[in-house]
Amino acid sequence: MKQKEAQGEGNILFVGIDLGTSRSSISASNNTREWIESYVGWPKDFISLQVVGKPVLFGAEALKNRLSLDLCRPLEHGVIKEGIEKSEEAVKEIIKYLIELAKPQPEQKIYAVVGVPADTLKVNKLAIRRAVSEFAHSLMVVSEPFAVAYGMNLLNNSLVIDIGAGTTDLCIMHGTIPLEEDQKTILAAGDYIDEQLYSYLTEKYPNSKFNKNMVRQFKEQYSFVKELSGDIRVEIPVDGKPVMHDIKNEVKRACESILPALVETTTEMIARFDPEFQVRIKNNIVLAGGGSLIRGLREYLQNALKEYGPCNVTCVEDPLFSGSNGALKLAQDMPAKYWEPL
Amino acid sequence: MLFMIPKKRELKVRKAILRGVYEDNLRIIGKNPVILSGRVPVFFKKMFLFFSITLLSILVNGNYLNLPLFPEKQTTASLITQRPSSLPAEKPVVKPSDYQAFLGGKEMPLSRMFGLEVKTIMIDPGHGGSDSGTKGTMGTKEKDITLDIAKKLRERLRKYGRYNILITREQDTTLPLNQRVELARSSRADLFISIHLNYLPSKPINIIETYYFGPSDDDKTLRLAEQENAGSHYGLSDFKEIIGKIGETLKLQESKEFAASIQKNLFLNSKKQNANVYNFGVKRAPFVVLLGVDVPAVLAEVSCLSNREEEIELNTESHRENIARYLEAGILDYLNKGEVSYEAKRSSGRR
Repeated sequence: MKQKEAQGEGNILFVGIDLGTSRSSISASNNTREWIESYVGWPKDFISLQVVGKPVLFGAEALKNRLSLDLCRPLEHGVIKEGIEKSEEAVKEIIKYLIELAKPQPEQKIYAVVGVPADTLKVNKLAIRRAVSEFAHSLMVVSEPFAVAYGMNLLNNSLVIDIGAGTTDLCIMHGTIPLEEDQKTILAAGDYIDEQLYSYLTEKYPNSKFNKNMVRQFKEQYSFVKELSGDIRVEIPVDGKPVMHDIKNEVKRACESILPALVETTTEMIARFDPEFQVRIKNNIVLAGGGSLIRGLREYLQNALKEYGPCNVTCVEDPLFSGSNGALKLAQDMPAKYWEPL
Repeated sequence: MLFMIPKKRELKVRKAILRGVYEDNLRIIGKNPVILSGRVPVFFKKMFLFFSITLLSILVNGNYLNLPLFPEKQTTASLITQRPSSLPAEKPVVKPSDYQAFLGGKEMPLSRMFGLEVKTIMIDPGHGGSDSGTKGTMGTKEKDITLDIAKKLRERLRKYGRYNILITREQDTTLPLNQRVELARSSRADLFISIHLNYLPSKPINIIETYYFGPSDDDKTLRLAEQENAGSHYGLSDFKEIIGKIGETLKLQESKEFAASIQKNLFLNSKKQNANVYNFGVKRAPFVVLLGVDVPAVLAEVSCLSNREEEIELNTESHRENIARYLEAGILDYLNKGEVSYEAKRSSGRR
């Protein structure tokens, strides 16, 4: 391990990148940790270029100026939208920007491990490689939940549930690199909750004006399942006048909408695993991704799985960086000879 | 954590995983991971050493531990193995792994596992006659589109010659759900696919989803099921009886596989034509028509009439032909799952 670190201090910068639908983060061997929202925006025309003053904008800044931008969220639904060059371009821009954020020295070689949603890995492997290869000297692409598992040392008999925005990826680790049948992706994830919440709120408050972005913020701030004491009240304009709205029930319903699929898939994956090791897996379930921040989710899952025997569900400490940290660890542990031919 | 000395075993696991990642990435860029196959685990090296020493000592001494150099028994045994059919076969030893492969092999449809063949495929165009299904803003009726797609699909499947393709309704006639189920039963269909179009009044998007029978807790799905179940002509008592059949988990599993295959082919291909189509995935829903049929049965919502652009598209011959093509691919994928030659043929024949 020490030898690797010495290597890292030299002219190689190891970076781990978590390319997510909603947020992307980077961890580098020079101890930089940065994240952005996975939005890329290009000014719509000459005037908007004047207004924003940049040829391309990212993350929160892009969202803020979205009215004058062509906004792109390249990994919607967990895959690069096929055939749309803009999406590929956007992935490229995100990677470029993230690597810039990691502040590499001019002469440093960059060795990158990129974690992507499991579905992206299946269909867009080459596209991702193409997008990254311009900015890194050598790179490897891995699936997101696998990167999380590696970073947390959960190499054997564990189940990582990465609840992202576009997809929820489940991945069973059993001491080898996960095969296709060890991984499963469902669409019950953050964006799905947003959609549900949006439709529930439109139903309940037809006269109030809100948009997808506001709904996402409500969710990120208040998400919970089962029980929560106190009210959830937010300000939404009605006819231009800010009015307080009670949205507790809607938030609860929306968040709970992902539960059936989540529980079903989890039990299905455990059941498919070698019966001798099922108990161990059940004691080693880890929730990752932004979805792991939903209050009460961990307890709910643990309870729901109880009827299949005792189990233990934990959440990662830092959902934002758990993927990129894991990818970085992979990069640093990777023997030098593996990097060369790529 | 980094400075903790990891256990030897864990180190090994880690090494293997890192190599796996590397080989995986080599495969992505189209190289073969051959460079590393030269590495032989120490265990095998030891084994090799042991055997070569044993062989050497046998050859030098003529015997080793009183074992004859070429024992007679062994020679006959090797003859036996060359002609196993002429002699009574030894009782095969069933290892636990065999059971596991048998029971855990979910990749393979049961029909193939037991060497059964799917002979009869029944296609069910949704609605018909007085029940026109949903209607687009331009007046396109679901019943017409589904019938046309079903007929196109029938023509496509007929070309293979292997299957007996049936259709529940040939014309624009009213056909209650119970009669459709009865038809499938009496004609001994092995596979059942019902074709429908979606309609989302609130959203102008185009979605594709495939259902198999099962309880659902999604409100939207239940509403949809209610719509599609209307006019089933089943009484409550009949319904109770068929509900009891949910225990047929085999059918359930198979239907799920089938649905997944249909959905995958439909969505991925539709997406190539139109990037704005959404994948709503494979879902369970209590559709009566799926419950009544005893064989793997799915209901595919192949397109969305509430989307204006899609409605225009659906009125073109080529688009309906395409949908039929995707369904055909989905059905064949399901039927031929795991067959290597088929996969190869498919990928080479892909346009």
